[in-house]
Order: sequence, then C-alpha cells, then structure tokens
Amino acid sequence: MTIRNVRDHGQRYRPRMACLKKVEAVVLEMQDPKTGVKSQTQRLVITTIPHAITGEDIVAWIANRFKIDAMEARAMGTMMVAFGYIYPLQDHKRLILKPDTSLYRFQTPYFWPAQQWPVEDTDYAIYLAKRNIRKKGMLELYEQEEYNNLYKWMNHKWDFIVMQAKEQYRAGKERKKPDRVVFDCQERAYWVVHRPPPGTVSAMDYGHERMVDPNLKEKKTPDYYRRIIMFIQQSIMRPRVKSSVSIGAIVKYATTCREHDPFLYPCLPSNPWLTDDITYWNLNMPNVEIPTKMRVERWTFSFGELLTDPRGRADFRLFLKKEFSGENLAFWEACEDLKWGTAATMKEKAQQIYKTFLARGAPRWINIDGKTMDVTVKGLAHPHRYVLDAAQTHIYMLMKKDSYGRYLKSPVFKETQKKAIAPEAHRFSEAQLEQNAKRRRPSLSPIILRQQEEEQKAKLAATGPVDITQLCRFTAPVPHLAVYTGICEAQSTASPGLMTLPNSAACPSPISVAIDSTPASERRFDGNGGPSSSHFPSIAEASVSEEDNQPPAPKSRMALSLSRFLRRGCNAPSVFASLSPKCGVASGGGKVQPLGVEPLAQPQPRRIANFFQIKVDIPPECRIYPIDSEDEEDDSPDTARGGVKEIICPWETVTKQDGAG
Amino acid sequence: MNRWRQSVVEIQTRKRQVNECERAQAALSKVTACFQQMATSLGSNIDGSFLREELEETRTVAHKICSGLHRRLLTLLTEMEQGQEDKEQVERLWVIFLSSLENFQQDLKKVKALQEIFPLTQRKDRQALVNTGYAGGTSEVAARAAMVQTPWLSIDETERPDLKTHIRGIDVLLEEMLQRVNVPLWSVEPTQEADGGQEEDESLEDMMEVEVVSQNNISGCCHHHNCKVGCLLCLLS
Repeated sequence: MTIRNVRDHGQRYRPRMACLKKVEAVVLEMQDPKTGVKSQTQRLVITTIPHAITGEDIVAWIANRFKIDAMEARAMGTMMVAFGYIYPLQDHKRLILKPDTSLYRFQTPYFWPAQQWPVEDTDYAIYLAKRNIRKKGMLELYEQEEYNNLYKWMNHKWDFIVMQAKEQYRAGKERKKPDRVVFDCQERAYWVVHRPPPGTVSAMDYGHERMVDPNLKEKKTPDYYRRIIMFIQQSIMRPRVKSSVSIGAIVKYATTCREHDPFLYPCLPSNPWLTDDITYWNLNMPNVEIPTKMRVERWTFSFGELLTDPRGRADFRLFLKKEFSGENLAFWEACEDLKWGTAATMKEKAQQIYKTFLARGAPRWINIDGKTMDVTVKGLAHPHRYVLDAAQTHIYMLMKKDSYGRYLKSPVFKETQKKAIAPEAHRFSEAQLEQNAKRRRPSLSPIILRQQEEEQKAKLAATGPVDITQLCRFTAPVPHLAVYTGICEAQSTASPGLMTLPNSAACPSPISVAIDSTPASERRFDGNGGPSSSHFPSIAEASVSEEDNQPPAPKSRMALSLSRFLRRGCNAPSVFASLSPKCGVASGGGKVQPLGVEPLAQPQPRRIANFFQIKVDIPPECRIYPIDSEDEEDDSPDTARGGVKEIICPWETVTKQDGAG
Repeated sequence: MNRWRQSVVEIQTRKRQVNECERAQAALSKVTACFQQMATSLGSNIDGSFLREELEETRTVAHKICSGLHRRLLTLLTEMEQGQEDKEQVERLWVIFLSSLENFQQDLKKVKALQEIFPLTQRKDRQALVNTGYAGGTSEVAARAAMVQTPWLSIDETERPDLKTHIRGIDVLLEEMLQRVNVPLWSVEPTQEADGGQEEDESLEDMMEVEVVSQNNISGCCHHHNCKVGCLLCLLS
C-alpha cells in the first residue's frame, strides 16, 4: 500500500511532458496502412514477427511528413525512441534512431509514457522479480542494486510483489510464442526508458511537478481578472533602472565571470556531470584547506562572493581576527543565523545577539551609528526574524567598504592566493569514462553534511569570541592590542592587573590564547591546563591560579563567566551535533562526535536560566566601556561592591539588583 | 472472550475462513495478472470488440472477488481478539489485499485512458491501431482468468459496475480500508525471500536459449542472455 499524501485527482502535472500528446498523434499517423511507415517482417528462427520497421524508413517518413531535412527528422525520430514510442530491436539499451537498416517496432499503447501518472516502483519491482523468477542471474548489476533497494523499502509489500510476478509470468506463458517474444521485448523496452541504466540520459526527466494542468485553458472568471489586475499594478509599482545601466551591469558581470562559467569554459580538472569524476567537487568542498585558484579569483569579484563562499568567509574571518575587528563578521553571521534559523529559538537568539554585540559594555561591541542603534533596540522589544536587518546592513557596508579592501591587500589573502592550486585537466579515454560511470556513488547524506556544519560552527565558537571587556584586564602587554580600544591602551600599562604567573612561562593567559587561537597555542595551553578534552576547565583553572596571585584584585568572576559564556555559546551546536540521525548512509563510517564532553552535560533549561546574567566584574580603574561614560552615575551604587554590573535587556522590567551578587 | 473459552468449532471455522481468504487472494492475483496481460493488447492491431468483452468479463470477476474478499477480511479483522494466533497472517493478507487493489486500480485507469484514445466505434478507427507485431489473441489468457474459483463467486450476485464506477469504487474502498482498520502496514514481514524463488517450468526458456545458440553460430552476434531476441534477429530480407 503506497502512502498517498496528496489526493492526486490527476492534478500533479509535469509540464515538460505536455509534448507527449503531440507525439502520440504522430505515432498514430504512422500506423496508417496507406500513408504510414512501411513495415516488414522480422525473422526469428522459429517464427516471424510482423511490423518491424527500419530506421531509414522512419526518418524518410518524418522528413516527408513535416517537410524537414534528414538531420532534423533523425533528431525527431530519436526523440520518439527516447520517449518510448518506438523501440529498437537490436542494441535495445541505446535509445537512438539509427538511420540505416536497423529494425524498430512500435510500442503498444499500454506501455506508452503518460503525463498523468508517474511510473510506479511497485511495477518495477514486479518486473524485476519476474525476470529473476524466470532465470536466476539474469539481472544486470544496476538492476540487482535497484532490486535490493526495493526489497528493503517495499518490504511489507514483498509477498504481494512476488505473488503478482509469478502470476504475471504464468499469464504471459498462456500466449503463443511469437506474442510472448513481442511482449517481452515491449516490457524490456518500457523499463529501459523509465529506469535507464547508469551512464545514460533519460528523456523522462520532467522537471518540477505542477498543480495546474498546463494544457487546460483557464476560465475567465472575475477572480481571474482580479488577479491579472493585481499583477499589473504590482508591475507598475516596481522601481525601474535605466536599461543602459542594467545592461552595462550585465555586460560587466558576464565579462568578469566568463571564465568561471562551466558552460563556456571547461572546469578543471573535469566536469563531474560529464566525466563522472568527482575530483572537482572534492577540491571545491565548502571547507577545504586549500582552495582552487578559480575560487580565490572569484573572491576578488565582489564582497558578496567572498562572504557566500564558506572558505572565503573563513579566510576573511582569519584576516579580521588578526586585525581584531572580528566582531563585525561575527555579528553579521549571527544576524544571518537569526534570519534563517528556526522560529522557536528566534527570541533567545535576538536577545543573545543584543547582549553580545549591541548592548553597552557588551563583550563584542560593534560600532553602529546612533540612529540604527535606536531603531534596532526599539525593534528588539518585539523581536522577529528581520529585526536586526538595519544593523546588519550597516555592518555589511562597513565591512565591504573598509575591511574588504584591506583584506585583498593583506598578507593573509596573498598567502592563500599563493597556496591555491590549479589542477590539470583530465583526459579520460572511452574505457575510463565507462569505468567512472560504473563507479558512481551517491554523495554524502545531507544529514551528515549538516552535522559537519554544526561541528564546524561549534569549533568556531569554542575557539573563543574575543571578549574585549576582559582584554585589558588580563593580558600581558601585547602590542597589537592597542588597535582595539583606545581607552584601554592607556590603562593597560598602568593597570595593576599585569601579573606574572608563577607558571606562566609556558602558560599564556586565557584571553591571549583566545585571541591567538592557533591550534598550537591551544594545545600548549591544554597540555598545561589539565584535561585535554576541552579547554574550558583549563581556563577556569588558570583563572583560579591567577586569582591566587592577585590578592588586591577583587575576586574575579569574569573568567568564570567567560567560560560559562563560551560554554553557552557552544551549547546549541553541540546539541544538534549529538542528535543521531537515522541515516543509512554510513559514509566513512564516522559517527559524529560532539565537540567536547562538558558542554553536552548541560541541559537546556539551565542554559536559559544563565542567560541574563553576564556579571561583568570590572574594577573601577579599568573602565573600558567603549561608549560615552554618561551612565557611570548609574554605577555608583555598585562601585561600593567593586563594580558589579549586569547586562540586562532594556526592554525587560527586571528590578536592577543593587549590589546584588 | 478468553481464547480458552473458544470452542473448537469456532477455531476451526475461523481457520477455514482464513484459508478461504488466502485462496481468494491468490485467485485475485491470477485474475489481475491476466487482466494486465490482456490490457497490453489494447490499442494494438489485435484490439477489437472481442478483446474488450473479454476484458469486461475479467474485470467483473475481479470485482466480485474483491468485494467478497474485502467483506470477509474485514469481518476477520474486526473479530480478532487480543493475542489471536493468526493475527499476523490476517494482517499480512490485509496488506497484500491493499497492495493488489491499488495495483489493479492503476491498470483500470490505464485501460480507461486507452479506451478513450482508441474508441473503435468507427471503421476508420481501426487504421489508427498501432502495429505492435502481435499475431495471436488473448483468449487463452482470458480463459485462464475465467477458470478461477472462489466459494462466493457463484453465490454473490452483486452489481456489475462499469469502468468509471469501478475505479471510483476502489478509491472509496481504499480510503475506507485505511481508516477503519488500524493495521500498521510496516509491521508486516514478508514470507518470501528477496528473489522469490524459481518457477519450475523453464522448458520454454530453454528452447529459446537453444535458438540463441544456434543463431550465434550463424550470425555471431552478442552472447548476452538478455539479448535473446536481438540475437534472434536475422535479416533475411
């Protein structure tokens, strides 16, 4: 029993197949005893079978009927063969029309392709079972594979399939021998058309299904006219661009991207759709280490190209990290995540983004103008998917006008450009192409791909967003940090926070680790810090050890909050990563490992409870709020306790806890 | 009612009914297979009123079997108690019946469409029939279908629906079957193995194989098994 989710009522139309009716008309014309195609008899050993036609006769008839030349007639004939209205008697797997004496025969109307209904897998299973019953080992490799697949997913119907196959076989045996031969040929031809062997192109590729029959004429009701009026009104309202401008843009785009178009220029090493060799796809994986030269060149075309390519974005991220303006890109990505994410998590995401990037004293504050900030904050009272659009656009333009240019001149980019590979073109022989076609395998399941993405994201989050509020407090003098916050620079040298840890020789502070964030430094840190599974405990430990060395400094919960923050940031992706999908494709047999042991131990509700408490404990001497310090007065009740400050969302009516800890 | 309380007679009756249904299902398979074999000749050069009559008769037989089988299976399923021994068997029958109904309905739709394309009401319609290479008729197939026996075939004198009504009737039947009885379709385990066993009678195939070999000696074309018809081609024109 097939599950039918849509009550079809013959309404799933496949528009490319609308031509079938016309082909049928032509086929019927060909049958005319006087004006149709000449037929002859096919001789077999024991009998003769009538109604065989030669390829050249077909071509001649078509050319005569439609008054076209032989080439076109041949193409049209091939189309009829490809659709399955005529089938070849020799070389039955190649559905082409050979304009010589090769024989063909007309397919019986029962086996004609129909627009209204797709070809059912049940029928295919019955056919394969029939062939198997008739003689074991008769199925080809691809048929055997299909058969096994069908056995797996149609398992509950299998008794029916076998029973029906047996009965059909026995019913077929009742007919006379020549008719049996004809029927077998017909059935085989039918399935060559509708389940083509690998490496062949099928004419049955019909594109999308539509809910409306394109052959029907639409009735002119008032509703129809209303729709037409609406459509025209909207067209009039659309903004317009001068054609010279738009054409100029198209010409520019075409000339820039000409060599990147796989239709116009061959892709290197070879086009997988043509040669069945997937090196091209492997070289251009989203997160490949070394990109190809063509890919790197595309990044120079526009900022959009750079951002949409995951490898390009990673490169850009690296560059920004070195420049310490990574928060812009992080904010932009967070906004994208909000826009495209699930509706359930939207509110929390919006709030987290606000706390991380937009609030005063936020750890990764981004620089947007007052008006946009106003609009955004107002919108955040009732968050929806596009609430951060204005801010996102602002930041996007900022990156585009400023960082992008510098990126293209930077050593990071030049390095990547130098290392990019330009693969050689493949040159496959016919035999090799066939080999490749046989070795075709389906690609990674999208579930696995998604898991890998989540893993990547988790790793990214784990390597630490740079929290600039803690930068100046804890870092040893790192000269290039001066770029970050002007205020801090002046104070960092005077800050008493610069301590030398007794064990700091090999152990840099957690923040500079986060900044540096090369795997080497992490490993170094881990090795020193303790358990190697995740460096979160190590951070806590290191901070603890730091605390011991600064008795005058207030008890710092900053590092702990950092670790909590990192953990939090890491939680969502790890949760996804731990979902085990029911995918049968075990590509590489690798089970997806969640990122670190610790993050998964935290249940979701607790995460939310932690949400609104970034307690930033900053001593008054090191005020590094990168905003004008008007609201220092607000903090005065807090200074007594050493400057406990909570970041709370301004739209919430939370009683500010005075001096609460 | 407790299983132990069921009298021997009841158990025996039920067993008999289940066996009846199984045989009826086999009969239905046979009839639908014959129907399909005959339907493939529609629109071909051997199409004619005779063929269509035979089709009609086969369809009526199928309809009778279907309605009887449906009623009896439904009774069996609704009467089923907890932990009934033949629960699996009856459910399996149910699923097989569903699948075969679906399959049959597909054939019916195709037949309806073909009869519209090839109405055969006028003489000139015969010229449009497709020259498929068939020579003989399908009478033997029809006879095979007519030979089918079911206990209720002669008893039940239900209505003889025409094609359109029949198709719609099956639609209604399918929906009703899916909604009324809560049988988890996916829990049914097949009793046949993947390859479905072999048919005993292969003599004809052997004969055809021999032809291939002899042909091979003469024309030396390909040895591929599947290509036996292609191999048998011998252009002596």
